[in-house]
Amino acid sequence: MAEPAVNTTKQITDEGLVKGASKLTPEKIEQVINSVIKAETGARLKTYVDICVHCGLCSEACHFYLSHDNDPKFSPAGKVKQTIWEILNKKGKVDAEFIKRASEIASTECNLCRRCAMYCPFGIDIAYLLITMRRICHKLGVTPQYIQDTAHSHSATMNQMWVKDDEWIDCLMWQEDEARGEIPNIRIPIEKEGAEIYYSVIGPEPKFRAQLIYQAAVIMHAAGVDWTMPATPGWDNSDMCMFTGDFEMMARLKKVHYESASRLKVKKIVMGECGHAFRSVYDVGNRALGWKMPPIPMVHAIEFYYELIKDGKIKIAKKYQKPVTFHDPCNTVRGRGLHEMGRFVTNATCEKLIEMHPNREHNYCCSAGGGVINCGPPYKMTRVDGNRIKAEQLFAAKAKGAKTIIAPCHNCHGGLEDIVHHYGLDMDIKFLGDIIYETMEKPE
Amino acid sequence: MHDIYNFVSGPLVWVSFVLFIGGCIYRLISMAALAKKKDPVVYDYMNLRYALRSIFHWIIPFRSENMKRHPVFTIVTFAFHICLILVPLFLFAHIILIKESWNISWWFLSDSTADVMTLIVVGSCIYFLVRRIVQPEVKFLTSPSDYLILAIVAAPFITGFWTYHQFAGHKVMGIIHILSGEIMLVAIPFTRLSHMIFFAFTRGYMGSEFGAIRHVKDW
Amino acid sequence: MKKKIWTLCSVFVAAVAVIVVTAYSQENVKSVQDSAFKTKMRPGAVFLHDEHNKKAEIDDCGTCHHVYKDGFKVEDETSEDRECSECHKIDGDPVPLVTKYHLRCKGCHEEKKAGPIMCSECHVR
Ligand code: HEM
Ligand code: HEM
Ligand code: SF4
Ligand code: SF4
Ligand code: SF4
Repeated sequence: MAEPAVNTTKQITDEGLVKGASKLTPEKIEQVINSVIKAETGARLKTYVDICVHCGLCSEACHFYLSHDNDPKFSPAGKVKQTIWEILNKKGKVDAEFIKRASEIASTECNLCRRCAMYCPFGIDIAYLLITMRRICHKLGVTPQYIQDTAHSHSATMNQMWVKDDEWIDCLMWQEDEARGEIPNIRIPIEKEGAEIYYSVIGPEPKFRAQLIYQAAVIMHAAGVDWTMPATPGWDNSDMCMFTGDFEMMARLKKVHYESASRLKVKKIVMGECGHAFRSVYDVGNRALGWKMPPIPMVHAIEFYYELIKDGKIKIAKKYQKPVTFHDPCNTVRGRGLHEMGRFVTNATCEKLIEMHPNREHNYCCSAGGGVINCGPPYKMTRVDGNRIKAEQLFAAKAKGAKTIIAPCHNCHGGLEDIVHHYGLDMDIKFLGDIIYETMEKPE
Repeated sequence: MHDIYNFVSGPLVWVSFVLFIGGCIYRLISMAALAKKKDPVVYDYMNLRYALRSIFHWIIPFRSENMKRHPVFTIVTFAFHICLILVPLFLFAHIILIKESWNISWWFLSDSTADVMTLIVVGSCIYFLVRRIVQPEVKFLTSPSDYLILAIVAAPFITGFWTYHQFAGHKVMGIIHILSGEIMLVAIPFTRLSHMIFFAFTRGYMGSEFGAIRHVKDW
Repeated sequence: MKKKIWTLCSVFVAAVAVIVVTAYSQENVKSVQDSAFKTKMRPGAVFLHDEHNKKAEIDDCGTCHHVYKDGFKVEDETSEDRECSECHKIDGDPVPLVTKYHLRCKGCHEEKKAGPIMCSECHVR
């Protein structure tokens, strides 16, 4: 191809891919590919492949494509061409090297952000095609090492971070203690049967960001919410198995999650500010278990905060002074249309909101999602270089005065932090919870 | 000449109509059955209201963000598709042939209008071709079959125009025209041109997912 | 200036030629025309009446210039003095009359496997 060399990804060595690929034989590859295609795909895959008119109109949807100076290898359909089309054309007769590269493309050069589905005139679901590629790679044992390790943690402990059962309870009690320094009678109710709300978080919260649990407790307390958290596995709503293509494990994870909530007979699940976990609980995991919609009503924190503020349960004492910009996490906008609620909360808590463009359901992904950030250090630059366009968007917001980025999603935080550092943006990144905690009227 | 003409305008027309209509029905039914067996979610999540909402947004020019980003392409593709479908259905020559054979007829375009519309189709095909060669993101996706399909679509219009204007060799061209029209019809259910049959379903499904489940627009 | 004069001259000559040819063909029919067709979509079909009939060995005028009564052809009666459209009324939609003409000419050609059958063979530009 005639593309300049700078546009091709640097050779990255990933233990998981190298080891996994070294164990493959042509027979095994062919057998696995064809069995997945035959047993697990059907009308959708066939129609999407049959009718794509190769028009390239989806290209400009993708931040990877835009950030690589319109390199066609990074266009949505271009990535499908290098993966799914090829294995279908060759009927599974591809070599280990091909699988390695296909795994890399599907797992680290696409965030499954579904922006392209809004740009293809046929609504071809590229993310579905690329997750199917990941599924095949999973079954072949060729998945990037870091995310596979996370998936292992999920299967061993039912949470993402190897948090042991007692460590989880310890963490909740510790945060309760801490919070009592501020509000003496505050509680983090564990295992409260019949509570109104079951609050779930992602594994990294007890592991690295326990402060977020503290803040959530303060917000719940101030709003007078009847809430609880479980003492058993199921508390972690996150799901890397959904992104490695380990759908069996994904279903088990969601099962423990819903089951712990129904054991506590709660009315509703509220989940912390995480995008991918929301996708897993609201949209994907439930389907794997045979539920059209989640068996228990559930909302993302954005919607929960929106209701608290709208109903006057939380009052804002003094608005956040620095001008902010709002990053729409794909999984809450293209996954649930929460953009206006996010803005409502932001406007209620901040003096000034400066929009990035495009925004709302047309936002550019942070390039961390879809499990890409979980593929770890080897792929850090893949996503940072692959999202120059986000940096440009942020620079434009900054030029208009924005100092703080609000991103109501854990992955977005991680992704945006790397972008902010690498491109020298020098902006703070905050959750909505951080802002509410900072600006709300707190009970004595 | 009589024998060839009678053959291409008689039995072959039947063959092509049967393959075209039968093929479309077959593709639809077999895809519906496959979906029932392997992708039952499609039935569970298809939602008429949101499917139609999405389809309407995508069949009206400039209703989607992407169409606004590509004004020239949008105008060309709408003009192309509208002319492509209207000309063969409402061309006077076609109507007369149908009337002669089956004694049914309907409204028709004036020959001069049809002539301009034919040129629009041919011009659009040239635009698509140039785009395919020149624009890297389209070129990267292009395989020889894409050129072939473009040729299959352009052929009845070029040959029809040729015959109508009685350029050199128009008698032979008339025969080639009929053949190329038949090839195009047959190609619809069995190539990427099947996007004609499946457009409403893929669009509708994505519209349903985005509208009913994700509460967000998809245009 | 010289060029302009030449152009004018040739237009004049051409116009005269057309008028002469048209007048002549009133006598010896060279094309099929029907005044019912108000806007002409195609040139009238080329048709050399006498030569055609000699070659096709048609003696009975009623073969084409027929007269029908109550759905039956009236033998011994012919209609050379009338236009087809006097019976085959047009009522706004030319398609039925066009089809009548086509079936009369093309239909017979198909049957006899002789004579023109494609649009451009009759509607010569
Ligand atoms: C299936 C059998 C078909 C037959 C028997 C047929 C027959 C004809 C005939 C007799 C003409 C008139 C030529 C003349 O004026 O001398 C014509 C013109 C034309 N036909 Fe067809 N046709 C067929 C299929 C198609 C198809 C599938 C298409 C397009 C998709 C098509 C597009 C056209 C066009 C564009 C013209 C010329 C219009 C113009 O420039 O004024 N035809 N066809
Ligand atoms: C209702 C029916 C149809 C719909 C909704 C439809 C829709 C589309 C759409 C959305 C595209 C994508 C790119 C673009 O916008 O141009 C497309 C491309 C195309 N369509 Fe259709 N189409 C229909 C019928 C047909 C038919 C009947 C044909 C030909 C027989 C056709 C030929 C083509 C071609 C050749 C392209 C590709 C242009 C390129 O090479 O980039 N379409 N169509
Ligand atoms: S990253 Fe997003 S826009 Fe790009 S291909 Fe993947 S799903 Fe599509
Ligand atoms: S926009 Fe849709 S049809 Fe066009 S190349 Fe992309 S996926 Fe294929
Ligand atoms: S991390 Fe955030 S922006 Fe990125 S994919 Fe997830 S939800 Fe989208």
